Amino acid sequence: MASASSSATPGRTHGPAWFDTLARWAAKSWMLVLFFVCFFLAWEFSIDLFHIPPYILNKPSEIVMASRSDLHRLLEYTYITGLEAVLGYAIAITIAVPMGLAIAFSSILRRTIYPFFVSIEMTPKIAFAPLFISWLGFGLVPKVIIVFLVCFFPIVLNAILAFSSLSEELERFCRSTGANWARVFWKVRLPAAMPQCFVGFKYAALNATVGATIAEFIGSDQGLGFYIQISTGNMRPDLAFAGIFLLTFLGLMMFGLVTLAERLLIPWHISVRRNA
Amino acid sequence: MSTAVQINSVSKTFGDGAAAVHAFGPADLAIEAGEFVSLLGPSGCGKSTLMLMIAGLLAPSEGEIRVNAERVTKPRTDIGIMFQDNTLVPWRHVEGNIALQLELRGLDAREYHGRIAELLKSVRLEGFERRMPYELSGGMQQRAAFCQALVHSPQTVLLDEPLGKLDAMTRESIRTDLQTLWMQQRPTVVFVTHSIEEAVQLSTKVCVVTPRPGRIDRVIDIDLPFPRDLEVKRGAKFAGYVADIHGIFHGFGIL
Repeated sequence: MASASSSATPGRTHGPAWFDTLARWAAKSWMLVLFFVCFFLAWEFSIDLFHIPPYILNKPSEIVMASRSDLHRLLEYTYITGLEAVLGYAIAITIAVPMGLAIAFSSILRRTIYPFFVSIEMTPKIAFAPLFISWLGFGLVPKVIIVFLVCFFPIVLNAILAFSSLSEELERFCRSTGANWARVFWKVRLPAAMPQCFVGFKYAALNATVGATIAEFIGSDQGLGFYIQISTGNMRPDLAFAGIFLLTFLGLMMFGLVTLAERLLIPWHISVRRNA
Repeated sequence: MSTAVQINSVSKTFGDGAAAVHAFGPADLAIEAGEFVSLLGPSGCGKSTLMLMIAGLLAPSEGEIRVNAERVTKPRTDIGIMFQDNTLVPWRHVEGNIALQLELRGLDAREYHGRIAELLKSVRLEGFERRMPYELSGGMQQRAAFCQALVHSPQTVLLDEPLGKLDAMTRESIRTDLQTLWMQQRPTVVFVTHSIEEAVQLSTKVCVVTPRPGRIDRVIDIDLPFPRDLEVKRGAKFAGYVADIHGIFHGFGIL
């Protein structure tokens, strides 16, 4: 009886595959959805309840209406900030992973660049932002550099750790096969390093939108950071919140894509299996 | 029979000056081809160090090691090696992990399909080819790791406490698998262990290694018929070997 009921759940027998997936997602996430609905409802009604004036804070419904009125500009700025974040992030990965590999395997680099990187990691990278703006102006380039800086260090430090922590047993096993360095790298070292690399990729994905926003605060004439600053100055918190929501969306998209890539590339890793 | 492994006055010291640790030796030993030789000793006695030196993964501080009459100066690729922590990688299934040994050697794993199936069958893992290591119990993982260490048919097999992390009952059952594998192909085996009974059951010779710095105190020939099943293990002769070796370690002040 027990085995019969577990093998024939209603979703599997009556609906198509996508319906089954949706039903399972809903079963898992309904509490979270309910929480968000309650949160925004509480916000909506608190504004009237506590007589909060519109130049301080608006209702979520007013924020939605305001963002519709300025939708074109908001979408354009989302694209600009997103471009800065994605470009800086992609360049950071492209440079930081090979560099991490080089540092992990070169005793000279380990004694020179590595301690240098560790000490720079203690510096808030964002402190360099005004300098880059003054050197390179208001355009895309200084923002991409700042995003690159806030993304580069978590990726490179995790990559160094990733490439230098192959187990002694596996290393000896590989040596006993007589395989050359490249073959060991592709078949063992690289896949073994992926989980720790993804720790850096995910951390950096969170940093990317923060870096782009602050860079725009400091010196910009477009982008969501600029928009939020101008809207706040104009006493339009509704528009500022529209910008904040879009930034949140951007951050979620980036983090979501990196998490998706992680699931596809390392489905075997314990962190992925546990959440599946 | 020819000498497969020749160990001449080998010793190993880690570090130098005041911080130097004398880990092993000096020791001499000759292992004939096709023998199953156990290095039996307490933990920290340097028996794993000796095994790594035979594999060419660690250079001796003094003396020399010859495998098939050839002096060991770099990692030997004609051996199979296995450790207490197995070398199954988590991103490949069982068959893929066995194939990894072949791929790293530049061999075409597809040509070995039959060989892999046969190995898995002899360790009772047929039907688990596509399972990931994390889907297997500790004992099944070690059995898969045996196949990984043996797939390229090495003449010499080095096993560093391969059953060390398993529970007593699983160990007992895997010993049988290990013996079956050895009897099928008769490679030369060097087996590191700290279990007296395990050494007596599996070996043609048991090398008793003293506490640090490890020296080979004596080499005991185990004159019992193979396969050493329950019948043999119940016999007085088996118990006699175990008791004798127990006595030797008692003399060292260990047991």
